[in-house]
Amino acid sequence: MDKLKLPDMDYVALLPMLALFVAACLGVIIEALVPRRFRNIIQLVLSIVALAVAMFFVVKQSGEVVASKALTAGGAIMIDHAALFLQGALIVLGFVALLLFGERSLEFGGPFVAQAAVTVGSERDREQTGRELGSTETFPLALFSLSGMLLFVSANDLLTMFVALEVFSLPLYLLCALARRKRLLSQESALKYFLLGAYASAFFLFGVAMVYGFAKAVDFKAIHAEALLGEGNSLLLIIGLALLAIGLLFKVAAAPFHVWTPDVYQGAPTPVTAFMASCTKVAAFGGLLRVLYVGFDGLGWQFTPVLGAIAALTVLVGSILAVTQTDLKRLLAYSSVANAGYILIGVIAGQQLGLTSVLFYLVAYGFTVIAAFALISLVRDADGEATHLSRWAGLGARSPLYAGIFTFILLAFAGIPLTSGFIAKLSVFGAAIDGGQTWLVIIGVITSIILAFPYLRVVVMMWLSEPGESTPSVSIPGGLTSTALGIGTLATLVFGVVPGPLLDLAEKASSFVR
Amino acid sequence: MSLSAYVPIVWLLALAAAFGLFSVGIAPFVGPRRFNRAKLEAYECGIEPTPQPIGGGRFPVKFYLTAMLFIIFDIEIIFLYPWAVSFDMLGVFGFFEMVIFIITVAIAYAYVWRRGGLEWD
Amino acid sequence: MIDVSWGEQVVFYILAPIAVIGALGMVMARNAVHSALWLVLTMLSLGVFYIVQAGPFIGMVQIIVYTGAIMMLFLFVLMLVGRDASDSVIETLRGQKVAAIALGVGLGVLLGTGLYRGTVDLTPVGLAEANKNGNVQGLASLIFTKYVWAFEVTSALLISAAVGAMILAHVERRKDERIGQAAMMKERFLPGNYPGPKPGPGVYATSNSVATPAKLPDGNPAQRSISPILPLRELEPAEKADKHTLTGGHQS
Repeated sequence: MDKLKLPDMDYVALLPMLALFVAACLGVIIEALVPRRFRNIIQLVLSIVALAVAMFFVVKQSGEVVASKALTAGGAIMIDHAALFLQGALIVLGFVALLLFGERSLEFGGPFVAQAAVTVGSERDREQTGRELGSTETFPLALFSLSGMLLFVSANDLLTMFVALEVFSLPLYLLCALARRKRLLSQESALKYFLLGAYASAFFLFGVAMVYGFAKAVDFKAIHAEALLGEGNSLLLIIGLALLAIGLLFKVAAAPFHVWTPDVYQGAPTPVTAFMASCTKVAAFGGLLRVLYVGFDGLGWQFTPVLGAIAALTVLVGSILAVTQTDLKRLLAYSSVANAGYILIGVIAGQQLGLTSVLFYLVAYGFTVIAAFALISLVRDADGEATHLSRWAGLGARSPLYAGIFTFILLAFAGIPLTSGFIAKLSVFGAAIDGGQTWLVIIGVITSIILAFPYLRVVVMMWLSEPGESTPSVSIPGGLTSTALGIGTLATLVFGVVPGPLLDLAEKASSFVR
Repeated sequence: MSLSAYVPIVWLLALAAAFGLFSVGIAPFVGPRRFNRAKLEAYECGIEPTPQPIGGGRFPVKFYLTAMLFIIFDIEIIFLYPWAVSFDMLGVFGFFEMVIFIITVAIAYAYVWRRGGLEWD
Repeated sequence: MIDVSWGEQVVFYILAPIAVIGALGMVMARNAVHSALWLVLTMLSLGVFYIVQAGPFIGMVQIIVYTGAIMMLFLFVLMLVGRDASDSVIETLRGQKVAAIALGVGLGVLLGTGLYRGTVDLTPVGLAEANKNGNVQGLASLIFTKYVWAFEVTSALLISAAVGAMILAHVERRKDERIGQAAMMKERFLPGNYPGPKPGPGVYATSNSVATPAKLPDGNPAQRSISPILPLRELEPAEKADKHTLTGGHQS
């Protein structure tokens, strides 16, 4: 039998993924060998080192991207400018979110449950809530998830993309079930996320099969070429794209595939929510961009009206339902649905301008949302986090500093000038007008105004109400949460005041290699 | 691909099914029938069939863990098979790829073992 | 029109209805275990389809992994819940079932007609080429070259699955919960405990089930002779009555 032609492997290009993957494997070994009390600090240091190594190689490569050499790993991975930008964003946002994972000073044992298999409400459960150190498998799981995300944004064919989708989703399902407090809610959220996520993955896979039926291949270049050629029945291609889009839009939480978002964001441990809200969004939109811009560009953007309708529905559903929420985590969940809609508007805008605005929006929103959830993890009472809106009344008088920071973050979500949220919305809407999608911009502006109402209501409650009996105290954050909160807030401010460098970076990154 | 390779298997299946049906079908006609109470009971160690065992037939969760581990290694074997069949074609590269794969899955095994997932009691 | 061989058609027209019946049965069965068994039927039929469509490896994998391992996992999960637990028929959202059926059928019709129109005038290509060196070999040459990265990354999936199963299903025992052999022996000989082997169940001419208790010398049933989880089998009057075996069958 003939020897096979070996696939070309550019190991330097794969190093960011490899670093995270190896660190995650080491993390699992640490879980097996190291006594419980040392695990948290070792896992944290290991994760940060791995992320630093990965970031180093991402930065190193970003200077030397050559279009002809971008394809590696036997044609399965495309390391182009956009992939490197998204990978860098994922690594930085993942780093900030992992800081929250490691926090142990807010409550004994950290935010995660010690033994997730113990029956909720049993004697043993009451014992472990206050006394046992939390499980640290969360670090390797998060690293596996991150390495899957890095692969997802750089995958060059639909099959690799599907495997990456599973690799980054499965650990997320698990992480959702590990909250230390309100464990039933947490388990419920994990189950819901898992069932709906598996369903969405099935749609994605079905779509891959349809596209393969049309193009006789699953890599984006072949799909594009076949679509341009226009031979054969393009019905298969369109069905395939629709099914693929369902899988991807589920992950970005676009309506009507958003129903999991509020329950999961509310039930999951707050650090995990922060991780999902920032990193999953970046990864899912990264994948969506690559599918639409690289693979299905040849369809001539016939799908724009459908995507436009979904974007409009998403911003409407997100903003209107956000108004009715009484729980802060649910409120932020609907806000993240609406934000997915705004990013989708940027995706539809097309061209380089749209791509730039989407990349900028993803990074800006990621930092802000991590800061928001970091702050939520600070406001707590005897039962853990106090997330009900009424509990936050009068917080401004109790601790003006944190209430001030949260006000700033909410203003950024609302898109007030001098915050990154303003620049992000401005660039997305600008790109959409440029791309001839003025009707989406009108809807976007109207929903932004609707969405400002729940944010401002929280602000008014914090500052203008008297602190009552039930107003919880704000815990003094440990070094890790402060750092995460500081980075998130600072990034929100800096990207709002001097957005130039990041916009330049995003513009430089806004080109895919086919 | 020609399906004729499967024809003997189909024949075997048909033969086995026919034999089973024949034996069961013919037994009431040719066998002697002399029943008494003890003959109708479950033999020796058998338990009288009861509609529902106490506890509703629920299993402890550790069965799930075992089944999950079984699936993980089942999938590993699924990958091993094509690798083994075309080993001479894949050469050193394929060998090292498979070694890396086995080592990473073995990490999961080591974790489960150390944390007591394989202890039964 | 695609030319399909006679044997393939026969297999298809026999198994396709069976697969559909299995799928319907799975959805409609009230009892969860029956549901799982219907699913086995569907999966087996699909496995045969794969083999008939010149993918013997994937067909075997379907049978080994899905009908073997994954169905076993399904059944274990059902048994965790209790095999008699059946679906609650109360709808929490009114009209949900009707809406779900309508939308599901709608999606099915949409996809079905779309697929039919998309594939009706297609000619299949490349099958002979893909299986040129044998099905498994062709698969191997793809897995280990073009998709080698995806293959390696699958191990991350497997590790996540193992870690997840451990986290969600395994309670680690604390050091003080482990009982040593010495402590076990002490507990065994503590007053109030019965250290010896327990008597076996009764063996009678009329019944030899393990659920039949042995008789104590005074004629009462020995409760210790049957397992506590078994329901006690009530002896009928005829069985209870003295059979006079000791007196040689003579009534005194």
